[in-house]
Amino acid sequence: MLISLNWLKEYVDIPVDVETLADRLTLAGSEVERITQQDVDFEGVVVAEVKSLRPLPGSTKNRIASVTTGRAVTEVVTGAWNLAVGDRVPYAVPGSRLNDRRIDTKTFLGVPSAGMLCSAIELGLGADAAGILILGPGATPGQDLHELYPRDTILELEIKSNRPDLLCHLGLAREVGAIFNLTLREPKIPKTRTTDAPDLVRIDSPDGCRRFVGRLIRGVSVGSSPPWLQARLRAAGVRPISNIVDITNYVMLETGQPMHGFDYQRLKDGRIVVRRARDGEELACLDGKTRRLTSRDMVVADSERAQGVAGIIGGTESAVQQGTTDVFLEAATWEPRSIRRTARTLGLRTEASSRFEKGLSPALSLPAVERAAALVVELAGGTATTSTDVYPVPLRPITIELSADRIERVLGVRVELTDAASILERLRFKVERADSLLRAQPPDFRLDCSIPEDLVEEVGRIYGYDRVPSTLPGARTPVRDLYERRDADETAREVLAGRELNEALTSSLVSSDGTPEIAMPVAAPLLVRIKNPMAENRDALRRSLLPGLLEALALNVRQDQGGARLFELGSVFWKAKATAVEEPQVLAIAAHIPTGGAEAAASELRSLQATLATVRDRFAIPSTDFKQAEFPSLNPGRFAGFHPGRAGEILEEGDPIGIVGEVHPEVLAQLGLPGRAVVAEVLFDRFSAGGQRTPQARPLPRFPGVRRDLTVVIRSKTAGHDIVQVIRRLGGYTLREISMVSEYQGPQLGAGARSLSFRLQYQADDRTLTNEEVSALQQRIIEGLKERFGAEVRS
Amino acid sequence: MTEGVAGQLEKLRASARERVESATDQKALEELRVTLLGKKGELTSVLRQLGSLPAGERAAVGAEANQLKDDVFRWIAERMGGLEAKRHTALGDTEWVDMSFVPDPIRRGHLHPLTLILREVKAIFSRLGYEVALGPQVEDEFHNFEALNIPAEHPARDTMDSFYVEADDLLLRTHTSPVQIRYMQSHEPPIRIIAPGAVYRRDATDPSHGSQFYQFEGLVVDHDIRLSDLKGTIEYFARSLFGPDRRIRIVGDHFPFTEPSIGAAVSCGICGGAGCRSCKGGWLEILGAGMVHPQVLRNGSIDPGQYSGFAFGAGLDRLAMLKYNVSDLRLFLESDVRFLKQF
Repeated sequence: MLISLNWLKEYVDIPVDVETLADRLTLAGSEVERITQQDVDFEGVVVAEVKSLRPLPGSTKNRIASVTTGRAVTEVVTGAWNLAVGDRVPYAVPGSRLNDRRIDTKTFLGVPSAGMLCSAIELGLGADAAGILILGPGATPGQDLHELYPRDTILELEIKSNRPDLLCHLGLAREVGAIFNLTLREPKIPKTRTTDAPDLVRIDSPDGCRRFVGRLIRGVSVGSSPPWLQARLRAAGVRPISNIVDITNYVMLETGQPMHGFDYQRLKDGRIVVRRARDGEELACLDGKTRRLTSRDMVVADSERAQGVAGIIGGTESAVQQGTTDVFLEAATWEPRSIRRTARTLGLRTEASSRFEKGLSPALSLPAVERAAALVVELAGGTATTSTDVYPVPLRPITIELSADRIERVLGVRVELTDAASILERLRFKVERADSLLRAQPPDFRLDCSIPEDLVEEVGRIYGYDRVPSTLPGARTPVRDLYERRDADETAREVLAGRELNEALTSSLVSSDGTPEIAMPVAAPLLVRIKNPMAENRDALRRSLLPGLLEALALNVRQDQGGARLFELGSVFWKAKATAVEEPQVLAIAAHIPTGGAEAAASELRSLQATLATVRDRFAIPSTDFKQAEFPSLNPGRFAGFHPGRAGEILEEGDPIGIVGEVHPEVLAQLGLPGRAVVAEVLFDRFSAGGQRTPQARPLPRFPGVRRDLTVVIRSKTAGHDIVQVIRRLGGYTLREISMVSEYQGPQLGAGARSLSFRLQYQADDRTLTNEEVSALQQRIIEGLKERFGAEVRS
Repeated sequence: MTEGVAGQLEKLRASARERVESATDQKALEELRVTLLGKKGELTSVLRQLGSLPAGERAAVGAEANQLKDDVFRWIAERMGGLEAKRHTALGDTEWVDMSFVPDPIRRGHLHPLTLILREVKAIFSRLGYEVALGPQVEDEFHNFEALNIPAEHPARDTMDSFYVEADDLLLRTHTSPVQIRYMQSHEPPIRIIAPGAVYRRDATDPSHGSQFYQFEGLVVDHDIRLSDLKGTIEYFARSLFGPDRRIRIVGDHFPFTEPSIGAAVSCGICGGAGCRSCKGGWLEILGAGMVHPQVLRNGSIDPGQYSGFAFGAGLDRLAMLKYNVSDLRLFLESDVRFLKQF
């Protein structure tokens, strides 16, 4: 919202400089985002009247204008085509100055041009460069332009959506008056008789229109509006068009009520009907587009056709134009939701619609019409008839009670009731005192106050939040299940960062057809679609973190950052039922192997398993196992996206909760990711379900333990996990630790064979183990492995 | 014979002295000690002859021999000390390491800046007794809008253009405020929570906007909660996060779910509040807040006659951008390791 300081000063004397004014408005809730001085810097520019126009010989573009400033007539060459004889225009005489530019007599094609005629942009009076600034009849030839266009300061405000009453100069003047406790000079609006003449205005859809006020003025002459009015419109960012249109805009910027003027002669049967559009009804709008409407849209129509989209835009057919003699002024109050819906469907936001959407008070309509009618008669002539006011359900004033205790209970500061009453009165509330209460009736232009808290806000923001003390809530609440989940997150992060993994956050929104098929096997098979995506490649919610992390690896490769290792802890979205979406927390890891070697990838895979095991060991999980994924023959779909020989499921008590494996070459190719990549994804809530593990100390061994090595040679696809199970079972209770120390597969063993070396730690709490005892156990293990796996075992 | 032992002692004294003085390193000196004083050493073998001396001479020669033994010990110790000191002096040359060269720090993984800022936020509020509450990102219209006094076609929805998912009436939450409602519905006061998480709006992407970003919400409900408590909480938070010398400004604002509503800004750390390109007239807006609207309390099954509360909401990305000097919001979701490794 642009506010002209000059305009504001017409209603109120501002006792402070503009910076202080801006600060105080901001503190009270209307943020001043910018203060600009109008860039007006000229000297010696006066009003001239165009006496005649003739072509400049030899030019197709320029003309010679004879102009007078009241005495002599001079000739000026001009390229503008919006001039007509009789127009009053700004004239920079020879010797005058526009900013840094000195204006002299110049010669065009042999014709001397004494100075120049100026456009609005050349004078710094607006962005309008379309032609010479036409000043209108109020300008007197010879008059200094500074008298017509006093230098102005423009405040750019962000008005909160609950205060549409502040979207105008009068409203803001009231606010300034309340802040500084000032008296206002409001424009005098002549009161006239009104009728509800149903033969002229009829509301067929009262659910969309709370009030409709109209007034017919006959015998006007359409022309340009006077300089003072144009100056104000330009300061507020509105381009002058013609006196009638300018007046409707002026009244809106003054009172906040959007208006429209119709050419009454063009309204069929001279009637106004407020109704819903017929489905498919078309209307040529003022912006040059024809719109097709539906029965959800409100229109202002004549007896036959829609003449305007209610509260949004007028139609061309009945628009006021040169030659219009009878004007019908409209100031209506539209139902905000209906306006918003129509504006959204039409994709058309106008100054009027954005005001109506916020909910304007119907109390504004009548005075706006009266004000505009008076201005029309003054500036465009004509005779006003009686106003028509259709107002089916008038606004009923409400009364809100407020006590000083209430204020203190909400704000935490004692504001005496007399002070509160004074603030509310300054804001135009009607206030009655009754014992320890006050009863306040909001002014009719405000619809945003209905409960005591609303009054407290009014008191608080004018009283000043800077005067509210700073306290902290009293007793601390007992901490309930504080940070349980966070601890798990943070514990995992600590481990993962220690393993040189960088934390990534990737977008929840993914592409429904470009996303590679890779996810943990328990993930929901289908993506949850977005109904109204902003981009095609962001039209669904992710069901796995893996595609995003792999894309991030590819992005890093493109940035010459091969070998990136990333992890992410985040939500995925699984469609549970038709109407519900589950959001499991997932931990995913992805590491890039730039060399692409099979060995390197296998070793990175082992490292990834070790990382997961490290995270797992920080939680008190009953048991998590890794199991070789059996595929592709058994489960082609379940492990889509994974290397057929390098994927393992993560199990919690037999339940699959995740996967770890190498990415299938096809997925890498789809992503344009060179080299190889290994990934893991696990349901984090299940993985960390046991919560933080509290370490439990055990007595240190009192007797020495015995360490033995064992190398097992097996057929290559025998699961190492099964071997460990057998060793553990046969080793009995003195076998305390089994760790795999090396793994070999190669020419020395021959094809299809693989060797695994384990280190076994035996220990008893009550005695020193003898060699014989341990050797017997080892022998039992060796025989067991031979029998079960046909393994060749060396110890 | 007597002459012999005494003479041998004398000769040994001279030669020992000379050999100790001429030893050039500690190892040679150590060997010399064994040669002279060891079990089979030269002095020891002389001493062994003492028994063959007449009793009258034995004492005098014995004393002489012991004296020599002490002297040799001393000479060796002194020479040893001298050589050690010399070695110490020479260390600057013999064992020089180029300490101007610093190797790269030990490699570690780096946590995301939004994790780091959230850690700080949680730590600050945990000191005030807050707990963390979470809510779904796929929300329904009731919790995201209606329960927060934002009915259909309310102008506040303009700033919160939503992504709808295929299921009916479900959308990606546009703010973390629905967690307020969910938490109030499932917990009795006193309530003191923060609720962080991702939110989504159909906003065009630019350096300070994205369709996915991160917020945290705060909610306190108890008997007798006042705006002054909110103000004190905001000041404690802002100063804990940005530094004790920052000033905090509270201005009027409007949100449908709080009444009164306020906005909070912290004085700019770059210009100190004088106004610069990074701030708005010396102030950086950090959060919106207010006293929970009585209807919102009722929507959360809490009696506004008994309880009052305050709520606040801030952008985690914005806080991280301010604190860590990040100039482009889009960096947060790109996973470029050159960015991540800076944290």
